[in-house]
Amino acid sequence: MNVITIALLAAAAQDQESRAWTIHAERIYTGTGRNLERGAVVVANGKINAVTPDAGGDGDKPRDQLKAYAVTAGLVDAGVRVTNWFSVEQSVEVTPHLRVADALDPFALEWDRQVRSGVTTALVSPVDRNVIGGLSVVLKTAGPESIAARTLKADAALRGSMGSDPSNGNRPAFGRPTTIYARRPTTRMGVEWEWRNAFFLAAEQRGSKDPGTSTLVAALQGKMPIFVQAWTTQDIRTAVFLREEVESRPEFDGMDTPRFVIDAAAEAWKEPQLLARSKTPVVLPPFPADGRTREGAAMAWNVAKVLEDAGVPFALSSHGSADPSSRLGVQAGYAMAGGIGFESALAAVTTTPAKLLGVDDRVGTIEAGKDADLVLWSGEPFQPGSRVLATIVDGVLRYDGGTVQGASEAR
Amino acid sequence: MIPILFALATSALPADGTLAIRARAVWTGTSVLENAVVVVEDGRIRAVGTDVDVPDDAELLEHDGVLTAGLVALHGASGALGETTDTTRPALPEARMGLAVDRRAQDFLVLQTAGITSVLVTPDPSGITNGTSALVRTADGRAIVDPAHLSLVFSPQGLSGNREPTSHAGALALFETLFAESKGVVADAKAGRLPCLFEVRERDDVLRAIAFARTKKLTGALHGAQLSGELSEPIRASGLAVIVPALGVGTPKRTLDAVARLHKDGVAFGFGLDAPWNHADALRLSAVLCTRAGLDRSAAWRALTADAARIAGAGDRLGRIERGLEADLVLWSGDPLDLSSRAVTVVANGAAKDVGVAQEARR
Repeated sequence: MNVITIALLAAAAQDQESRAWTIHAERIYTGTGRNLERGAVVVANGKINAVTPDAGGDGDKPRDQLKAYAVTAGLVDAGVRVTNWFSVEQSVEVTPHLRVADALDPFALEWDRQVRSGVTTALVSPVDRNVIGGLSVVLKTAGPESIAARTLKADAALRGSMGSDPSNGNRPAFGRPTTIYARRPTTRMGVEWEWRNAFFLAAEQRGSKDPGTSTLVAALQGKMPIFVQAWTTQDIRTAVFLREEVESRPEFDGMDTPRFVIDAAAEAWKEPQLLARSKTPVVLPPFPADGRTREGAAMAWNVAKVLEDAGVPFALSSHGSADPSSRLGVQAGYAMAGGIGFESALAAVTTTPAKLLGVDDRVGTIEAGKDADLVLWSGEPFQPGSRVLATIVDGVLRYDGGTVQGASEAR
Repeated sequence: MIPILFALATSALPADGTLAIRARAVWTGTSVLENAVVVVEDGRIRAVGTDVDVPDDAELLEHDGVLTAGLVALHGASGALGETTDTTRPALPEARMGLAVDRRAQDFLVLQTAGITSVLVTPDPSGITNGTSALVRTADGRAIVDPAHLSLVFSPQGLSGNREPTSHAGALALFETLFAESKGVVADAKAGRLPCLFEVRERDDVLRAIAFARTKKLTGALHGAQLSGELSEPIRASGLAVIVPALGVGTPKRTLDAVARLHKDGVAFGFGLDAPWNHADALRLSAVLCTRAGLDRSAAWRALTADAARIAGAGDRLGRIERGLEADLVLWSGDPLDLSSRAVTVVANGAAKDVGVAQEARR
């Protein structure tokens, strides 16, 4: 039976209530700084009950036993694309209040792919076709067949883009404009102007009941992070300077504490001190094989190491890529090859993105009381020879690669 | 050549006076009567039963076959091909398909030859709403129910690259603006006086439509998602019915199973035909394919008649053979759920018309 079939069978059984599990592992990487050797993670009612040095403490309650070499918390990907063009309202350049959640398909096959690669929590954003595209959502990659039921945090971030994505294809090849695509910026400076214009208008019209304005005001007050896509160093600078302008101009008094996150910051290594100075965290796109990413941005293998040394918080992401090498676990391995240590790589795919998204009270570490989102690994996590054996989301075995079932013998 | 044959096909028994039909079997929609008589007067069913006397002045049709209520095809552009859409504007709630129908279109005769006596003509899902549907009688192209539904589009078909909305979120924002109105068909829909036709395609569209119907307390039917049945529980909870798009010989078993699940879980459903793009016989074929996959025969029949009539807003007028209902009837050569049977004669507006000749013309 192949892996996909097994995954489908697991999905078919998913409506069962989350079961009690005891997961035995040689290594338990909790993400809290205190790891265990030869321990067990005890799961019940969708939560982590206990992390113990051995499998004791079961009492007389029957539990399903799982075995793996290592266990980590479920991975958190701040750049999952299960969306399509219908996720962003392109008839206007700035649509802060529109929700990507309205466009999501709980039945999309991409969810299964995420689960199989160990990702249990995802930030999904509108496609970067607008300057300010709308509200992102954080949700579990598996669960009930409804987006609302899977949502961990609604309106988790305001999403927008610098650079050429929002200015691409927005004019007719010749002649007079006949479609909506002629209505928007065609240059980087036009994109930047739209950002500033939106912010200044929001400041001027604060108190307005207009949903777009109130969303912008909330974002500028720091009630949700502002995820700005910026691949190149010039776009990163534009975003940082925009933030500093908001923080310093009198027009923004009372709404001058925005939490910017630079997404897809491929060239963050060029001026890490700028990001450190402005305390702006970044999300990195997948490492490119040839050193070049989108927008012609250069991204070296040591970018994570440079950011770590400069004290810039960073998360790794797949940035919507369906390429197998873009899977989050693989990316963590690449970052380690670029010079960072295991704990730092683990943090970049669990605790750091969880904090950026404001869901670190629920996910990101293996601790009693946290959601039972767990990845079982065949060997050392993120190493090329290791693979995901199983993924548990909210206490339910959502992916069973087929070899974790020490369950039958242990029963 | 063909126009002449169609002219022949329209030769019919006079509409005035009384018509009586004695058939080997009468499917009333609730039971099967052997050797029964149905009496039609002024276009309505006056009597039905095995012990009904044929009135002296009645024209009597003896039929060695099955007599049933006419089939109701849900969804399509019959008589209005090319008139079901305005792609330049996202919302045209007051556009009426009933006004776009060409009563003398050949489409209707083609439907009659397949035993279809009424057809729901529906706006194209090319905006968030392109107006209201109308249930039309195939015998004369006149509206039976108009407006029948307000069309609301939740599938990506309603989105466009050239005008707003381009996104699901944008469409929902437009729906909110539209439903802030308190006049016209939108007000009727909000008040429950006018059911809605929710255009969907994939299962996520179904969930989106159900959520909107719930918040606005709308009634009606979901059309277009072949796998609706996999969501039969939330659909049943919403109170909405389902219009299953026409099925074909290559339809996967998963789709057929989903239709059976609608029935099992108590969701009323009918079949969309989407004539003239689809062959008129695709309606009966859809039901038969479902029975082959295990759907209860009586449920399949109701989906073609009584349940379809109810979904189209004519449940108290059409779809069964009962005293007082309108006499839209079909005389079949045999069991209508056997595809080797064909419609021989169609009765509507009190007149019987031989459609066999027209079938010859269609060859």
